[in-house]
Amino acid sequence: MNSKERLLNTLKGNSVDRIPCICPGGMMNMVITELMHKTGIMWPDAHLDGQKMADLAAGVYEYGMFENYGVPFCMTIEVESIGGGKIDMGNEKFEPHVVEYVIGSVSDYKQLNKTDINSGRAKVTIDAIKLLKQKDDGVPIIGNLSGPVSVASSIMDPVKYYKELRRNKEDAHGFMEFVTDQIIHFGQAQIKAGADVIAISDPSGTGEIMGPKYFEEYAVKYLNKLIDGLREVDRTIPVIVHICGQMHSVYEELKHLKADAFSFDAIVGIKDVREHLGQDKILMGNVSSFALETSNPQKIQTMAQSAINNGVNILSPACGLGTQSSMDNIKALLETVKNQG
Amino acid sequence: MSKTKEELLKLLSDSVFEMEEEEGVRELAQEYIDAGYDALEGITAGLVDGMNRAGQMYEEEEYFITDLLLCSDAMYAGLEVLQPHLPKKDLESEKVYKCVIGVVQGDTHDIGKNLVKIMLETAGFEMYDLGRDVPLKDFVDKAKEADADLICLSTLMTTTMPGMKTVVEMLKEEGMYGKVKVMVGGGPISQAYCNKIEASGYAANAVEAVNLAKVVVGMGIPA
Repeated sequence: MNSKERLLNTLKGNSVDRIPCICPGGMMNMVITELMHKTGIMWPDAHLDGQKMADLAAGVYEYGMFENYGVPFCMTIEVESIGGGKIDMGNEKFEPHVVEYVIGSVSDYKQLNKTDINSGRAKVTIDAIKLLKQKDDGVPIIGNLSGPVSVASSIMDPVKYYKELRRNKEDAHGFMEFVTDQIIHFGQAQIKAGADVIAISDPSGTGEIMGPKYFEEYAVKYLNKLIDGLREVDRTIPVIVHICGQMHSVYEELKHLKADAFSFDAIVGIKDVREHLGQDKILMGNVSSFALETSNPQKIQTMAQSAINNGVNILSPACGLGTQSSMDNIKALLETVKNQG
Repeated sequence: MSKTKEELLKLLSDSVFEMEEEEGVRELAQEYIDAGYDALEGITAGLVDGMNRAGQMYEEEEYFITDLLLCSDAMYAGLEVLQPHLPKKDLESEKVYKCVIGVVQGDTHDIGKNLVKIMLETAGFEMYDLGRDVPLKDFVDKAKEADADLICLSTLMTTTMPGMKTVVEMLKEEGMYGKVKVMVGGGPISQAYCNKIEASGYAANAVEAVNLAKVVVGMGIPA
């Protein structure tokens, strides 16, 4: 069974020879500075050039870190294409991040741009996926998207945004519809370019911030709209959703998400999630990114084994990797699943 | 018949707790002042009481971050009206604890930071908010300039966590470590990380942050 067959079968609930070990990319960063030096491809260059993005993503697999390719390496592309606000491209340690908001209220959304997949870093990402697809080497390609609430709250001041979700509902929903349509457009292009799986991270749309009522009204609703949109171009495209923070206040609402697999934070207990979401859900996680940066390979193998024993279907870090994590620590995850044989 | 002081204090508290529109809170605060009641009590037993009740609900997971943001809007609307009526000496009578707060360099997620700032302000800290994506040296410089008791550092990103360690190290180099306490918080941060970088404390949420801040600076403990 090759890596792609193993991951795709796992995501569809079919039996596999052993559990896969992946890290999607996007918010779930899998690039470390050590890898940049080994491959000679540095951030921020790799955010801006399709060939470099593809080669660095390939390096993650080639150096035995994870069993997938994944692009892009940040969550600012959707924001850049919609808002046109300034992005700090970061450096070899930091990811790109948004430094300027472009609208002052949800009511201003009509002045925003539609995402153009033929320009800017949206095109870079699509180019990178096409290049990875050409390899046709049995490694699954994961296309990454930022979730609707996270994109929307990066286009305007999040404090104002969260308030307007409650005080200005009509325009808030108009804004969310618009933003979600643009993310769908980007995601559909990723699938057409060859992405085998789509991973969506929506760290700003959490139960902890919004509470169950608004989590359902804004996060779940537009994540589902996004997933439905993706499935217009590929009815069976597997979708992973990463949820940040504590989830216990929103277990009921999470059941309504149309994702194939759920990924979650280190603070969340896998047994607890399993109990609340049911036996049929595919769970991915959740070895502490903090431990991956600061601990040693032996301890990481123990933590990985514990995650497996607790019932994850896919082994992965709990959050994006810190860029200063050592490659030996990261490799310990994959070694653990390989030993399951 | 006009309302009693107790009735108005209760209404002020409720207006914050129940996230009333700002205009309504201002009118209520004005009514309280026009009736000749004490502005400081209006703040502490009215507005701040409402905010503390909201904080209590937040701890019980009945309120969430967005609720607290709306409560704080109501509180600040009332404060605008009441604050000008405070006698000067009330402001200067006791030690004011000063806190520098910001999101470390490389990260722009500031929702948690803003909430902690609001809650610390509610608890009586004088806040110096450096905003988000803050160059690390700025924390130390501002703490020195303001003679701060506390620095609060926030980040939601794994990649920017090491900046917190750098700030602690800079304080050591400047001989300010210990005198200026450092609190850390944010999604990827944990007590273990706090211990590792030798910060003074870690809080998982804004309400815990206030309790911890009081402890680390010694607020309310007789000198």
